[in-house]
Amino acid sequence: MSARGRIRLRLALRNLRRHKRRSLLSGSAMILAMALLVFSRTIAEGGHEDWIDGGVRMGNGHVAVEAPEYRTRRTLDHRLSPEARAAVKDALTSEVLTERLVASAPRLMIQGLASSSSGALPALIVGIDPEAERAFSALDEKLEDGRWLEPDDHLRAYVGARLAGRLKLKEGSRFVLTAQDAAGDITGQMVRVAGTFRSGIPEMDEGFLQIPLTTAQEWLGVPGASTSEALLLRNSRDVGPVRRDLAASLVDWGDEAAVIEWRESMPELNAAVRMDDWADYVFHIMLFVIAATAIINTILMSVMYRTREFGVLRALGLERGEVGRVVFIEGMILTAISGLVGMVLGAAVVWIFFRNGLDFSAIWDMEMEAAGVVIDPVIVPRFHWNQILQSLAFILVIGSLGSIYPAWRATRIDVAEAMKFEE
Amino acid sequence: MSGGSNGSEFSTGEVRGTGTPAVRTENLWKVYAHDGIRVEAVCDVTLTIQQGEFVVLAGPSGSGKTTLLNMVGGLTQPTEGGIWIDGIDVTSLSERQLARLRLERLGFVFQAYNLLPVLTALENAEFTLLLRDVPSEERREKVEKLFQRIGMAGLEDRRPGKLSGGQQQRVAVARAVVGEPALVLADEPTANLDTTTSSALIDLMAELNRDLGTTFVFATHDTRLMDRARRVVRLVDGAIVDDDRRD
Repeated sequence: MSARGRIRLRLALRNLRRHKRRSLLSGSAMILAMALLVFSRTIAEGGHEDWIDGGVRMGNGHVAVEAPEYRTRRTLDHRLSPEARAAVKDALTSEVLTERLVASAPRLMIQGLASSSSGALPALIVGIDPEAERAFSALDEKLEDGRWLEPDDHLRAYVGARLAGRLKLKEGSRFVLTAQDAAGDITGQMVRVAGTFRSGIPEMDEGFLQIPLTTAQEWLGVPGASTSEALLLRNSRDVGPVRRDLAASLVDWGDEAAVIEWRESMPELNAAVRMDDWADYVFHIMLFVIAATAIINTILMSVMYRTREFGVLRALGLERGEVGRVVFIEGMILTAISGLVGMVLGAAVVWIFFRNGLDFSAIWDMEMEAAGVVIDPVIVPRFHWNQILQSLAFILVIGSLGSIYPAWRATRIDVAEAMKFEE
Repeated sequence: MSGGSNGSEFSTGEVRGTGTPAVRTENLWKVYAHDGIRVEAVCDVTLTIQQGEFVVLAGPSGSGKTTLLNMVGGLTQPTEGGIWIDGIDVTSLSERQLARLRLERLGFVFQAYNLLPVLTALENAEFTLLLRDVPSEERREKVEKLFQRIGMAGLEDRRPGKLSGGQQQRVAVARAVVGEPALVLADEPTANLDTTTSSALIDLMAELNRDLGTTFVFATHDTRLMDRARRVVRLVDGAIVDDDRRD
């Protein structure tokens, strides 16, 4: 740093120390803003990750491989062949995936009818591999009656409680599934209720059931096939790299296998997360305005009080821009220190008091559901240091923007007039 | 002390001390216009001050002393006329060059001392040397010598708030002369001081003028300072009415 740079820095630092109370007051506003920012971002991140996790576990995973047109056609014509599934299995052994993959599960999904002596109701019938699904889905934890599917099960079904209720089915009851098979014929399959579940999501409880994958494959005439291979990742932030890696591995299977992510397979959840993000952005903007106001107020007041001093600096040989830089540096130092303290404070508060979750059960129903996901009233904050550092960077940007005007005012001081200024 | 203008971007074409006046003004005017009222603060002032002079600009309040001093110091732009400091045409300089000129060739002493409150006495005194990137050892040596001379030894680490008015003004004088400027401009330097402190300060500046050859130009009402000056230029209503040389 040049000698002049050192002087500017020294003047800025000492001026901040000179008006300790003023600096502390403004610093406190920024510390509070930054701490709130860290708190709100970690809670928001935790909440969103819970939503996404709940959604993808009940649905099609963070990332899924499907036949390209399955999403729009929803027929068995658009399925993954055994060869394509084998290629997907190979792709899962890549370094990118093994580091990030929690579980993968094949599904064979078809719209059909569930019929009993009490009536017939439409249902989404999903063939699953119980062993693979246990590590993936949270549905086994939503058991209401009976049991979940076992690997040795053949003609068994795990049925939504409201669907079972409307069809008057109990554990062990027999009922018939009807759907269009791969040849286009309507075909039926009798199964017995292994258990019922209550997920809290009305659509699932009223019209969703699971049967063993092999049963579904045989019944529908698609041996070894699936309609999707769903992947559960450690974190929703891993979706991008996994999708890219998987797409690159399956490039030769482009006509048969497409990689999609949860945002596409669950557009309602994506919209809900984005909407919540926007609400957070508005809150963050308010915090940034508080920080910017604190900076502008402190530094501008300091400039007004030090008119004569700036005149002296100019008279002694400092250039107009250098006086502005002294003021700007003051703002930046105040922002940087407050930002760091606020970041540590925010992280400490979240870690000490809310590490195990922030319980909102007093203000919302335990069974609250949005966008097809049951929302847990206990939100566990999640720390992403890059996100917190990003907040710090934002505060620094706000600090620098907030310091520009006072710095500019300092450069406009008339030296001769400043000498007449009474401090 | 050695010359302090090495590496300067200014060229006078002459070497200081070979006849170039420290200050020269020609037909200098400063006119303020407020709400259509024209106020002539400085009227047609032509003045030459040689190197090493100890000059007082005297006159009643509103006679234009401070305005003239500010124009000479490059703090206020004249409305008309020319100013040369050490042979440099001040009116032709850019803002940046003016800042450089003030740093390298001028020293200022103000009525209200105007020390930087966040710096110690020593740091205030060495401020212009710091700006000129003078090496630390040389800087400290110069300031410590000067502090010995002005009776400030031992008070180097005090902040201005912990110094008396007289001590603060001594530091201000040290700050003004430490860079060996061509010219020190002092606006009412003794106005806030008691008689004893004023006399001591006048003695100090006279001594520095004699020993270092520094040119001093004062704007003052102080008769004690006028008595010690070798030249008194009297201004009334912005114009020179008398130029009394006492050499």
